[in-house]
Amino acid sequence: MAVVNQVQQPTDLPETSLSPQETRNCLRMMMLIRRFEERTYREYTKPGHHIGGFCHLYSGQEAVAVGLAAIYHQGKDYLINGYRDHGHALALGMEPRAAMAELFGRATGCSKGKGGSMHFFQAQLGNLGGHGIVGGHIPLGTGAAFACSYKKNAGVCFTLFGDGALNQGAFNESMNLASLWKLPCIFICENNGVAMGTQVVRSSAENDLAKRGSAYAMPCKNVDGNDIDAVISAAREAADRARAGNGPSYLVMNTYRFRGHSMSDPLQYRTKDELERARQNDPILIYEKRLRSRGIIDDAALQQIEHEVADIVNDAVLFAENSPYPDLSELYTNVLSETYPLQK
Amino acid sequence: MPVIPFKQAIRQAMVEEMERDESVFLIGEEVGEYNGAYKVSEGMLARFGPRRVLDTPISETGFAGLAIGAAMCGLRPIVEFMSWSFSFVCFDQLMNNAANIRYMSGGQFKLPIVFRGGNGIAHQLAATHSHRVDALYARVPGLIVVAPSTPYDARGLLKTSIRSDDPVIFLESEIVLNETGEVPDAEYTLPLGVADIKRPGSTVTLICWSKMVKLCLNAAAELEADNIHAEVIDLRTLRPLDEQTILESIRKTHRAVIVDEDWPYCGMGAGIMTRIYKKAFDHLDAPIARVCSEDTPVPYSHPLEHAMQPSVEKVIAAVKEVCYV
Ligand SMILES: Cc1ncc(C[n+]2csc(CCOP(=O)(O)OP(=O)(O)O)c2C)c(N)n1
Ligand SMILES: [Mg+2]
Repeated sequence: MAVVNQVQQPTDLPETSLSPQETRNCLRMMMLIRRFEERTYREYTKPGHHIGGFCHLYSGQEAVAVGLAAIYHQGKDYLINGYRDHGHALALGMEPRAAMAELFGRATGCSKGKGGSMHFFQAQLGNLGGHGIVGGHIPLGTGAAFACSYKKNAGVCFTLFGDGALNQGAFNESMNLASLWKLPCIFICENNGVAMGTQVVRSSAENDLAKRGSAYAMPCKNVDGNDIDAVISAAREAADRARAGNGPSYLVMNTYRFRGHSMSDPLQYRTKDELERARQNDPILIYEKRLRSRGIIDDAALQQIEHEVADIVNDAVLFAENSPYPDLSELYTNVLSETYPLQK
Repeated sequence: MPVIPFKQAIRQAMVEEMERDESVFLIGEEVGEYNGAYKVSEGMLARFGPRRVLDTPISETGFAGLAIGAAMCGLRPIVEFMSWSFSFVCFDQLMNNAANIRYMSGGQFKLPIVFRGGNGIAHQLAATHSHRVDALYARVPGLIVVAPSTPYDARGLLKTSIRSDDPVIFLESEIVLNETGEVPDAEYTLPLGVADIKRPGSTVTLICWSKMVKLCLNAAAELEADNIHAEVIDLRTLRPLDEQTILESIRKTHRAVIVDEDWPYCGMGAGIMTRIYKKAFDHLDAPIARVCSEDTPVPYSHPLEHAMQPSVEKVIAAVKEVCYV
């Protein structure tokens, strides 16, 4: 059943040229995201129901978001994403308080409580948002890349989507447009092997998802999405190429989601054994081990990070709980740039 | 009579029609191995096998269009949309192909196909997953639009929809799928285009469909305390509209409130009102009132989401307005 990572992963260990401090920050951010997501799980399932709607957790895929954030040029670049968007928002620098408050539907949330889990936006950081319609945002990412190229500012757009989104027309149309016009778009498929309950082998005639980009005259690559160094070096190569005006690339980050598709998923399509094997490939463990072997962290440092991220997440939950719901008048704001009479 | 959930009634209709007619098949995302995103099709893959219960990739344009093509060639597809909000991805297939091919071909092709799935606002799914497509599709000549409110109606209407030679837009609701109602064991069908009086009354006519019916019945029960006897008409089919039942009721009550989960502007209510004003104007004792969702996108935050929708209180207020009390 397990189809994740059956494709050949590159074996050479890439050089990322991050400073020791930067690598520590990356590990810390991955741990923060994990902690945030697992706490979200608990808050969602608690009686009282603070968090509602569809909620998709990122646990297991952290290396992708954090790796991209490590090479993201703030002020120039953009990132756009599907609905599994908490990790990317945090990695780009969203305050955990604003993220948790959004989940709680509070006025202090990143989208003022209007968007919820699937719609974390942060314009200030170039975060063009999480989007709920599978594949619907891929043309928008292409459009952001178009804007970068139009303005000639060497910015790029990281356009992320799941393995399921490849089967939408929007993906295929966007890939062609971006390549035809050499747009600085980095198309990134986060292949966690499954779309809701449908494994890649049951949805894609071509099981090697990197090959799904091979008709569009752009570099296509499988990347070990559980290895943040691999993510960073592949993304950097693609971004450099795009910044230089040489057009888009398509990267398939092969990874795994530890939790169900959303909170209501009983995970009947997955065996314990499969999950156990995936746990061995936990991106946080892999990176932690590597940083230990390089002497960048030790037990004490790790413990300190654990404490820090736990405190941050506790604080975020407290903040969310104590924040007000949006005033009912907020229902009518932000519909258009000006307020017009309601069309009754 | 057995009491079963809405989703089971829908499943019964699909299973019975698939047993009855080899050319009927079910296609959509997660309808097979996952047993349906909302378990509507539970057990159907085991019963009919992968030839007739097909799990698709997330390719609405592909599978909706495929089903339309198959219908042109003699099959009778049931297409499940995980949510009607996702039908916008394949709007072209529904609006241009399903609705027009019979007409454009001068009647050479029939399109026996049912598109079904959850419609409307559920629990905090935010703007993109809360669309109400009722009026959008009910505007379109070439389509039939059905929106049942009870398990009994759902089973009977779905069976007729599957047997129909025309494309049927069949609107369910995620949040009523687990609500239960009486459904006989014996097979039956219900006609399309016929409304049902869910509660007789004499003071005011409440016009509604789908999950607004329950809301109106609750409002009607409360209104008895004020000596207001509301008649609740469940339209059941939005296109074609059962004008006769509406007009008969209004000739009796002289007042009407239309309750619609959708936005007010250019909505179902506007279309229904025109018919009433045209054909029963002299019978009205008050302007027709409407209760709709607020004219805004659907917010995520629970208090806002709640405030934007029709409620029992809003229906009662509208009834009192048309009754001048
Ligand atoms: C157009 C559309 N169809 C169906 C859905 C319902 N849906 C939401 S997520 C999902 C699975 C997507 O899987 P994938 O793209 O692999 O992303 P992942 O959840 O694994 O991150 C489906 C079918 C949707 N949101 N939009
Ligand atoms: Mg996936």
